Amino acid sequence: MNKDAHIVTSFDNDLKTVETLVLEMAGLVEAQVNDCVTCLLKQDLELVESIRASDKRVDQLETEIGDMAIRILVQRQPMAQDLRAVVVALKMVSNLERIGDYAKNVAKRASVVTELTPLGSSNETISRMSEIVQDMIRGVVDSYVARDKDMADHWRHKDEDVDLIHNTLFRELLTYMMENPRNITSCMHLLFIAKNFERMGDHTTNIAEQVHYMVSGALPDDDRAKSDLTSSITVDLDE
Amino acid sequence: MLNNSVESEKKMAEVETALNSDGPIIQAKDVSVFYGEKQALFDVNLDFEKNQVTSLIGPSGCGKSTFLRCINRMNDLVDIARVKGEIIIANQDIYAKDVDVVALRAHVGMVFQKPNPFPKSIYDNVAYGPRIHKTVSTKDEMDYVVERSLKRAGLWDEVSDRLDQPGNGLSGGQQQRLCIARAIAIEPQVVLMDEPCSALDPIATAVVEELIDELRERFTIIIVTHSMQQAARVSQKTAFFHLGNLVEHGDTDQIFTNPQDDRTENYITGRIG
Repeated sequence: MNKDAHIVTSFDNDLKTVETLVLEMAGLVEAQVNDCVTCLLKQDLELVESIRASDKRVDQLETEIGDMAIRILVQRQPMAQDLRAVVVALKMVSNLERIGDYAKNVAKRASVVTELTPLGSSNETISRMSEIVQDMIRGVVDSYVARDKDMADHWRHKDEDVDLIHNTLFRELLTYMMENPRNITSCMHLLFIAKNFERMGDHTTNIAEQVHYMVSGALPDDDRAKSDLTSSITVDLDE
Repeated sequence: MLNNSVESEKKMAEVETALNSDGPIIQAKDVSVFYGEKQALFDVNLDFEKNQVTSLIGPSGCGKSTFLRCINRMNDLVDIARVKGEIIIANQDIYAKDVDVVALRAHVGMVFQKPNPFPKSIYDNVAYGPRIHKTVSTKDEMDYVVERSLKRAGLWDEVSDRLDQPGNGLSGGQQQRLCIARAIAIEPQVVLMDEPCSALDPIATAVVEELIDELRERFTIIIVTHSMQQAARVSQKTAFFHLGNLVEHGDTDQIFTNPQDDRTENYITGRIG
């Protein structure tokens, strides 16, 4: 991408400010995802409050970036890469905000789940899932800063791993529920938690696609492997 | 003399037929323009499709107006200007020796940056072209042509009760629409516009832009503009000129969201290239 300065320096400053705010937001969301896993696995319930507080700031940043982007559209009427950068910032913040919401939801469920008995290896599986999601968020944000579409593509494809783990966990939890109805409460919460991470992966994938678009002017043209099969998974009790 | 006019009518008929066929209506092939020793335009190759609006954009002195003026041979009026290459309108090279420039300009009308109505009545301004090109013969016919042209230019409702008033008594925006009415009165195939809105306020500009969109159904329009937003709004194709070269030409959407050449990117994003 062209990194020459604009004739109007304040335009450069505006775009830089948007980028800085997006990075601040991404940093907070990344921390939320990390914290929600700690809540869940280490039973650290104090973190729930801190996630809630940081969620307020995330929402605030979403509004702030939106206002800033609209101001740039009105004042500068950006074209080409500048236009793409502004539009992508707008879309990125919606995706980041959703990821933050999912993290908050995981943290809320943590307080219920910690009171229940852990089931098999489900905690480890969720932990593995969350690690991939966190790596993806970090990688995609790095690709945004570096304006690197290949790096964005690389992390976009990682979502397949998240989907595969989600499938396995879904099946496992179904089995636990069938074995003993007393497991249903924890299983339901764990299922929602797993689903939350799966959705976080999807939103991160969206961001990766937006970074690709911002850099190249076109969306990635290959079909990403879709591996989320949970909508058709059944488990037979008599198996 | 008689022979000449038969010949010229035959030629006009040929041009009409060609104009109604498919394919690009204007083809510029290796067009270079020199002002004395100085070359202002370098080997421009560009096709224009029928019923499309094409914007020519670029910094001052990039050659876009020079190129526009080649299309109806306005550069003939500049003594030191010399044009090389071919501009083919409806299968005919307009720089060929036997081309009648007056007939050419009946097919290729032009609207200028500053509204320039003749110091005549509104009616006579519009009737001027049909009169000199003898495209109408009776008064009734002329009334009809004047009314139709003013209606197409979106001016009729504002002036129908004062057609005998001087054209330069109108407001700037109205004068520009009068000039457009004058240009289209002779039913040209192509309308060239050289920064038609740069002297107009935003409302008059919006009216002219709306008009351009309507005129597209009937005419092929080529517009030179310094407003990128205007180019993005009114045109389907955009061509970017820089230092006398055609740098990039393509769909307007693509040029403004994802230009391929760094010079285009620098220009439209306001960067120091």
